[in-house]
Amino acid sequence: MSVGQLAQGKMPVAVKDAAKKDWLYLVALVAFTLMALMALIGPWIAPYNPTQLYAGPENGLPTAQNLLGTDDLGRDVLSRILCGAGVSVFAPIIIVLLSTIIGSLLAVTAAWFGGITRGTIARIIDVIFAIPGLVLAVLAVAMFGKGLPAPIVALSIAFIPVVARLTQTAASRELGKPYIAALRVQGVSSLAICFRHLIPALVPVVAAQMAVGFGYAMLDLAAISFLGLGQQPPAADWGSMISGGKTGILAGAPEQALFPSIFVVVTVLAVSIIGARVTAWAEEKER
Amino acid sequence: MNWIQLILGRLGGLVLTLLLASVVIYSALLLTPGDPMSALAGGAKPNPELIAQIRAEYHLDDPIWTRYWDWLSGIFVGDFGRSFVYKTDVLGLVAPRFVVTFQLVLLTVAIILVLGVGSGILAATRGRAVDRTMGLLTALGLALPGFVVAILLMWIFAKSLGWFPGFVVAILLMWIFAKSLGWFPVFGEGGDGIDRLWHLILPAFSLATMFLAYISRVTRSSLVAQLHSEHVDTAKVRGIPRGRIFGTHVFRNAAPQILAISGITIAGLFAAAAIVEVAFGLGGIGSLLTEAAARKDLPVVQVTSLLLVTIFVVLNALADFISAVIDPDSVSSGRQA
Amino acid sequence: MSNKPVLELDHLSIAMPHRTLVHNCTLAVAAGEAVGLVGESGSGKTLSVRAVAGLLPDDFTTGGAIRILGRDVAEMGSKERKELRATRIGMVFQTPRAHLNPLLTIGDFMTEALVHVAGKRRTAADRRAAELLDEVGIPDPVRRLRQYPAELSGGLLQRVMIAATLAMDPEILLADEITTALDVTTQEEVMAVIGDLRKHRELSMLFITHDLALASAVTDRVAVMQHGRTVETLHSATMRQEARVEYTKVLMAAALDEAKPEELVRDRDATSVLAVSGLSKTYQVPGATGGRETLVALNGVSFELDQGGSLGIVGESGSGKSTSAKIICGLERADAGTITVTGEDWSLPARGGAARRGRAKKVQMVFQDPYQSLDRRQTIRECLSEAIRVHRPSDSREAVTRRIEELMRQVTLDPELADQRPKSLSGGQRQRVAIARALAADPEILVLDEAVSAIDVTTQVEILTLLDTIRRETGVALLMITHDLTVIRRLCDRVVVMRAGRVEEYGTADEILDAPRADYTRLLLDSIPREGWKPRRRRPGRTSAIPTITLMHRVKEMRGL
Repeated sequence: MSVGQLAQGKMPVAVKDAAKKDWLYLVALVAFTLMALMALIGPWIAPYNPTQLYAGPENGLPTAQNLLGTDDLGRDVLSRILCGAGVSVFAPIIIVLLSTIIGSLLAVTAAWFGGITRGTIARIIDVIFAIPGLVLAVLAVAMFGKGLPAPIVALSIAFIPVVARLTQTAASRELGKPYIAALRVQGVSSLAICFRHLIPALVPVVAAQMAVGFGYAMLDLAAISFLGLGQQPPAADWGSMISGGKTGILAGAPEQALFPSIFVVVTVLAVSIIGARVTAWAEEKER
Repeated sequence: MNWIQLILGRLGGLVLTLLLASVVIYSALLLTPGDPMSALAGGAKPNPELIAQIRAEYHLDDPIWTRYWDWLSGIFVGDFGRSFVYKTDVLGLVAPRFVVTFQLVLLTVAIILVLGVGSGILAATRGRAVDRTMGLLTALGLALPGFVVAILLMWIFAKSLGWFPGFVVAILLMWIFAKSLGWFPVFGEGGDGIDRLWHLILPAFSLATMFLAYISRVTRSSLVAQLHSEHVDTAKVRGIPRGRIFGTHVFRNAAPQILAISGITIAGLFAAAAIVEVAFGLGGIGSLLTEAAARKDLPVVQVTSLLLVTIFVVLNALADFISAVIDPDSVSSGRQA
Repeated sequence: MSNKPVLELDHLSIAMPHRTLVHNCTLAVAAGEAVGLVGESGSGKTLSVRAVAGLLPDDFTTGGAIRILGRDVAEMGSKERKELRATRIGMVFQTPRAHLNPLLTIGDFMTEALVHVAGKRRTAADRRAAELLDEVGIPDPVRRLRQYPAELSGGLLQRVMIAATLAMDPEILLADEITTALDVTTQEEVMAVIGDLRKHRELSMLFITHDLALASAVTDRVAVMQHGRTVETLHSATMRQEARVEYTKVLMAAALDEAKPEELVRDRDATSVLAVSGLSKTYQVPGATGGRETLVALNGVSFELDQGGSLGIVGESGSGKSTSAKIICGLERADAGTITVTGEDWSLPARGGAARRGRAKKVQMVFQDPYQSLDRRQTIRECLSEAIRVHRPSDSREAVTRRIEELMRQVTLDPELADQRPKSLSGGQRQRVAIARALAADPEILVLDEAVSAIDVTTQVEILTLLDTIRRETGVALLMITHDLTVIRRLCDRVVVMRAGRVEEYGTADEILDAPRADYTRLLLDSIPREGWKPRRRRPGRTSAIPTITLMHRVKEMRGL
């Protein structure tokens, strides 16, 4: 059985089984699917151009014309949320994918070869780990200027240690199990052991870690935008909208900060519930 | 003997990590595309004399290793370099702001430990209903980043409760309580002493929420693991009173893990503080770093990054070390007679 | 012996939500009596005793009655019940290391109940703790009180556990598989200690074990439990004559059968297929004082295995028997010594895939725990086909399928199971899969590393018989690594006895089992529970005489303090 089959074939079964028992999980799945859908088609269903000034009154309350109200420049909040969804949802996915691929590769390499290779990789990971993700992202902005590309790359790097350490622990534990020794005694080739047995065994752990990582990536990226170093005006993502909405609060119109906040929180909450379920699934596999 | 080796080993690794991190921080900024000159000259097209003068003043013509060495050795003697933007000593910029961040983190740590560990104990010991409620609350807490909590608190305390109907009575009561004492100040870091504390309350709660939920979960799960452990069965069979079982066999055995993870969490607070500092307009090192990065003020970015990294690494190592000290099992497990 | 039972289980049933685990456990333990509760894993014996001790999870429910000293625990208030359990019942568990708090010293542990339950003063408790350690034969008790559990061996810890239960002078000792994790010689020591205590203290005991021979040797009566029911209760001394239930007879046959294998008709000049000479191996382990210490795992070990023969390597934990197996299979590298397999030099592990495959064709291994040694993501078919394809990568799909069927037939596995995963198989079926996988290569040598230790006794016999049949049919030579001499008797024609990395004795099975020359072999043989066996203390034990305590005397003493 291939990695792909395991990753794709087994998961939906686990998902279906769990969904029968757990409405919270089902709600989370639906919520995340909606968010992802919004990210995909947001710009096409947005009622206004997100940067169009005075699509309504300044700091307007929700009305039939502006369902979620307007911001201090009269821009439609709903349209800005829909158009910002793409960046807010997909940028964290890029971060998770990049860090997972690099981190897992480093981890499997370290666990497989051991010795000096493992020592060197561990030292590199220690150094990356020493720099908090937010600091690395701000450093990247200082180097390459404001905007999302630099923080995305920086956070991808900053997330490597967590993935690598977790995966390496799991890989070492797996390699220490008697069934791997049994395969060696059988004369199964190293490559076959690695690809047919070790890597499939790590899929659940890595999947669970990806779900957890997505939440953190989304929050960190929103934080960067909130600090004014990420998405630059007039374009917006949820983080920068929350930051921009601060003035609205003082002007008695909190909606423009609250609504994007709700979208961030709901997405992260949904993913963390899904992540918890994937973790439970991973532990189930372990038994 | 054992201890000295342990300490020296950890210390060596720590210094090496810090050195490598400082190289990364210093060289990363030299790899910056574009010339720091544009930042220094303030955007105007500089004339050759000015360029030469600035290059000499900031040692931009020396070889890179010399400059790295000058920078690093300077830090050890208190010479942190000069800001490109403010044209003043970096030390003078960083020191007062560090005090603010430090106080903010201290208050946050107190909140996290008291409420986080406390709620974790409740979740682990007060039956299924409390456990489930705590589970939902902490799940929500983990999805509430500092800037969102900041926005919520600002909305509640800075203006008025407004029309938004979703808010529960508890927050209303808290608000009335706070109002009866006078407002929580929302913006700025205030003066000294009590005034400062007052100004730091909202930022500290904003910063604490996510970490609080995390520590609560960690506490709960380490306690539950101990509650189900076999040595607790032994104590139960022997009729040891419940209170003593919890204190001596459950909490004490879970403490190293709780402490280790709290340490790592606290270490991360200094960097995470940037968000609430910016949100509440506090002049801390996080907001200084953000501002410096936005304006490409390289010397300030370097020093504040290095400071944050050092704090992070040292606190991590300290947490690691303390949990090893209070867990004799980790030291004595090799021995057997 | 009074006729009022100390402990009585009357139609006890235990259920977790949606499922009943114990249907009917009925037994009684009279004052001063020892009763064994014997059954295989999953029979409900441990659950029953945990119900007595009050250790069931909260959502479990019980039916029937548990009576302690004639009183139904269900009718008592919770405080009274707790006090009764704390003072009248002592419980000892299977894994002492897990059941002691690693952060407390032995002294803290010993005095805890005395101080916090009986309300004694610290100094009095300390004195009593030292006396109790002395009573269970732990030398230098005062020093031991200051040590942590990690510093003591498993056998010592188990005695500490026993001593601690004595602190409250209980009426009855509940012993749950207390020697299962111990070596056979240590088992004898611990059982001897318990025998002494019972004599001096009129202590009753409920002794839970899977080992019928051990139970019958150390108890007065034995209750046999199967599928959550006590199926019969027998007098230990006359068990063989009394047994009526088929299951008991099977258990007895499995435990007490010492029949020799039929003599193999073999060539007189059988050549050796495996020769090991002067094998040595050391490990670096973290030492007591912080530095590194050298652990000698093997020290000049030599033996030979004949073609189609079967050699047993016997020893207790730490004897180096498993290390030898690993080195032969190329999983570890020896420091010195030579290994010759069918005339080839195998002293160093194979380099490269082709060499490894070449060796795999000759030597295969079966591990202790089949669930751990099978990849649980693979079905049996996938597992076997992988093993077959290693050596015949270009075989057609049909040929591989035929070979899989043949292998499954060889290990008497139902071919219907081919698409199951290890999780849905029983322990015996899993080990059959592991054996089939090893046979896939058609090896000349099969190394069995404690291959039946993790399996229930009745299944053990089946697997051993199967291995014997396979040896006769295929002519594969067996190298059997085990701690259990009864296994050797059934399967091996030559035996190596190992201790602390050295060969103590090497000879034919008959010589070693019937006329051992080495003291250590004799000790091992004497430690095995069998009919008429009584555990004896073999090392110097107590430092002073035990005052004989009667029940009357004890009650006064407790009030006085």
